[in-house]
Amino acid sequence: MSPHILPHLNKYRAWIVLALTGLLIALAPLPSRITTPTERHFRVEARSFEYHPAVLRANLGDRVTIELVPMDVVHGIYIDGYDLELHADPGQTEELIFIADRPGTFRFRCSVTCGALHPFMIGKLQVGPNSLLWRGAGLATLAALAGAWKLRR
Amino acid sequence: MKAERLARLFVIGLFLGLPLAILIARWLPPGSASEQTVEMHAKMAESGGWTPSDLTAEVGEPLHFRLTSDDVVHGFAIGQSDWPAVDVNPGEVTEATITFEKPGKYVFYCTRWCGPGHWRMRGVIEVSGRTAAEQEIEQPLYAVLGLDIDAPHLAAVIPLQRPSARRGASLGIPIPKMFQDPEYLRRHSPAETWSILRADTFTQELNDDQVWDLVALAWQNSTSSAALALGQQLYTQNCAACHGEAGSGEGVMATSISPEAQPTAESGHDHRPPANFTDPEMMLGASPALLQGKIIRGGMGSGMPYWGPIFTEEQTWALVDYLWTFQFDLY
Repeated sequence: MSPHILPHLNKYRAWIVLALTGLLIALAPLPSRITTPTERHFRVEARSFEYHPAVLRANLGDRVTIELVPMDVVHGIYIDGYDLELHADPGQTEELIFIADRPGTFRFRCSVTCGALHPFMIGKLQVGPNSLLWRGAGLATLAALAGAWKLRR
Repeated sequence: MKAERLARLFVIGLFLGLPLAILIARWLPPGSASEQTVEMHAKMAESGGWTPSDLTAEVGEPLHFRLTSDDVVHGFAIGQSDWPAVDVNPGEVTEATITFEKPGKYVFYCTRWCGPGHWRMRGVIEVSGRTAAEQEIEQPLYAVLGLDIDAPHLAAVIPLQRPSARRGASLGIPIPKMFQDPEYLRRHSPAETWSILRADTFTQELNDDQVWDLVALAWQNSTSSAALALGQQLYTQNCAACHGEAGSGEGVMATSISPEAQPTAESGHDHRPPANFTDPEMMLGASPALLQGKIIRGGMGSGMPYWGPIFTEEQTWALVDYLWTFQFDLY
């Protein structure tokens, strides 16, 4: 860096620090806990118009078994992003087995028109830690701090 | 002047002729008169079921269906026929063509659990034929025997351990000819068979449970793996929702037909829970003819559907055979 530019940059020092911190929060790799893939078994009870449990958590690489137990009428499950579909009648429990090989949070929805509130019958599959949430929270805090600092000046 | 007149006539002719032509065309019969098309709407039983629900057809003439649903997913199948069931989805039209070969009354029904009154979604197709020779309807065995389906038929003696056909076979005792006759076994309960065997001289060396093993062996001899497979398939599709996949009467629908859940007319004041097939006192005291009767007639104060018009005789016997697997060990 030449001394000619330095005083010029100095003027924007606060902004550069802010931007670098922001990039760090958004992109820095997390200290990943190394997990060995395991078997995960979920017994999902489906009734009009909810899943129980509605949030399924797995780690990357886990072998996930979803046992779909409809409790009243015919229900299904469709997992966004994984492109998997399954439906079952009451009394005929069906199983869906797959490897959770895509990280992220995915919605699953009922795939069989089961009644008036069918479109609202949703749940989510969470594969790996939910870093998006923490990164988002970090960025929001940073923005708040920057705002407070700007106001104080 | 002449051209002007012609033009006026043409316009008047057009105005009068067009509506007339449309009216006449409406009165003409449709192009394919031989094929009957039925547009059928499916709704949950609570809001009306099938529309239309009464149909007529002719033997040998194809009946064409355009099926659609007005609320949720339904299924469409015809009882006592090999015609495969189709799904009826809202917003879609399912086309199906059926040709009946025999005259008679056919019941069509819903095959997807669409609501608490799912099984009440039924309708009738009356098929008339040129061969009006109505074949005589055979009475089911329970009616021939005059069995009272609603009376309790409890077993006086029940085994201490689950009877096993394999243990029965390992005893090396030949089963008397009487108990090898499937007709005999259909008319008598396992408990009756047990008491006759127990009283016999050749079982003096055996304890009570070994005699039960012999009963299980006699039952195993009277059925086949094909019948059991058919029975299991029918059971999971039609019965497991209330009676449970393990036969214990704790199916997922059992809670919704309890009096607390539905004290209204919707359930027809059905207060009894679904039968528990793992209960030896109830099962071992019942003859196959009685169980078949319960399947055919339904009721029993538990909201059990009547399956008579849906299942063929072969299917009801296969179901009864499968019910015994909740009491006896095969291997």
